[in-house]
Amino acid sequence: MINVFKNLYKYRELLKTNVKKEIRGKYKNSFLGVLWSFLNPLLQIIVYALIFQVILKNPQENYAIFLCCGLIPWTFFSSATTRSAFTMIENGNIIKKVYFPREILPISIVTSEAVNFMISTIIILGFVIFGGIGISKYIVFYPLVLLAQYLLLIGLSLIISSISVYVRDLQHLIGVVMQLLFYATPIVYSSETIPDNFKWILYLNPMTYIINGYRDIFYNQQMIDIIPTLCLIIISIVLCFIGYIIFNKLQKGFAEQL
Amino acid sequence: MKQAEDEYSIIVENVNKTFNVYLDKANTIKEKLLFLFSRNKKEKRIVLEDISLKIKKGEVVALIGTNGSGKSTLLKLMTQIIYPNKGKIITKGKLTSLLELGAGFHPDFSGRENIYFNASIFGLTRKEIDERIEDIIEFSELRPFIDNPVRTYSSGMYMRLAFSVAINVDADILLIDEILSVGDEHFQNKCFEKMLELKQKGKTMIFVTHSMDSVKKLCDRAIWLYKGKIKMDGNTKEVVEEYVKETK
Repeated sequence: MINVFKNLYKYRELLKTNVKKEIRGKYKNSFLGVLWSFLNPLLQIIVYALIFQVILKNPQENYAIFLCCGLIPWTFFSSATTRSAFTMIENGNIIKKVYFPREILPISIVTSEAVNFMISTIIILGFVIFGGIGISKYIVFYPLVLLAQYLLLIGLSLIISSISVYVRDLQHLIGVVMQLLFYATPIVYSSETIPDNFKWILYLNPMTYIINGYRDIFYNQQMIDIIPTLCLIIISIVLCFIGYIIFNKLQKGFAEQL
Repeated sequence: MKQAEDEYSIIVENVNKTFNVYLDKANTIKEKLLFLFSRNKKEKRIVLEDISLKIKKGEVVALIGTNGSGKSTLLKLMTQIIYPNKGKIITKGKLTSLLELGAGFHPDFSGRENIYFNASIFGLTRKEIDERIEDIIEFSELRPFIDNPVRTYSSGMYMRLAFSVAINVDADILLIDEILSVGDEHFQNKCFEKMLELKQKGKTMIFVTHSMDSVKKLCDRAIWLYKGKIKMDGNTKEVVEEYVKETK
């Protein structure tokens, strides 16, 4: 197991250039470039606010702020998982010809999305500052919640990226699953408004704890639920191990499958 | 025992490799389910059978054989791009393979950026690349074009850049597949000189090639693969003579 980290450390330059390439490549050839990192979530918030607040009359106070605390972390989650289903096939050319630790690919997807998310956090900050809520001292817990989400995504992306090489259906399936998960996560609504007999769905969903964490920090301005967050970190670390075992088993056949 | 093994760069033990040849490959769940009922579409082809060999540190070895004899597969196994079905392969030291030049070049990035990207695939750190970048550009003779996007390069220039990166990685073991024919004659001679220099430095090198002239000039040992098995292994001159006789 120590070998894994040694190997990753040895190939850190590749990881770095790959993350850079992912970030730069994403908005390449688009007119507004990196500005889309801001514009995309902002437009999304406007769309959802229009539907759920103006038309469906959601009673939530400061709904736009409430929404952006959920939507931006969700975008991080869904684009990281979706893109890891494609990364191996996109990089098939290199995989077939050069040896390098294959886990670099999903890890750089998640890392580049994490960087993107950190940039987008500026939008949340903008909303709370100009929305009149202000910034609370609980912002010190932001890195902890981010760590939980990052580790969760590393574990998931190792599994998704390696299985998608063998079962290409996953690429199509993942879009639908993400849509379902979107509504099974308290993003456009608050977890309190859900009837008790459906609450177990939310409690089983790890993204619930993450989004509630961000929401406590920025929107409710209160202490996060520290025990579930720490539990989630431990579970995510276990998931990373399991993910790595699966990945390692499957990666031996990558070059032949692609 | 341990000490004896230290002399070797590559140890291949009883390696078997078979490829599944699908006449109609199943990639989706639906096809896979259907496949459960009609298994006969799969064919196993043995590419390598019970290969064992040891390559000493500093040895320069040529793999020769006709097309489809398993030379390239053996190289791919040594690089860990594919894995054997049976047996094991141990390599010691930093290994660089030149299986196909310019793998992972990004056409829109400049030559310089691609040097960084390509070298990082070989496992170099930023600092190590910074130290080598001048040598790489110098060797490739592409200085006037180095900041242009690679897509504007001719195929010869492309190869020269890729070769220059790979040769400057400073690996202990170099695996080279069919690429002694890089660029024009002038550049080929330069590559040849560089190979000789690396040989003198005590690097282990393995070539796959059909050019018997370069084999004779460069290699101390030749291994003749025939239909997935080692047919002959030994002194370059003898093996090449036998091989030429047989294939004529």
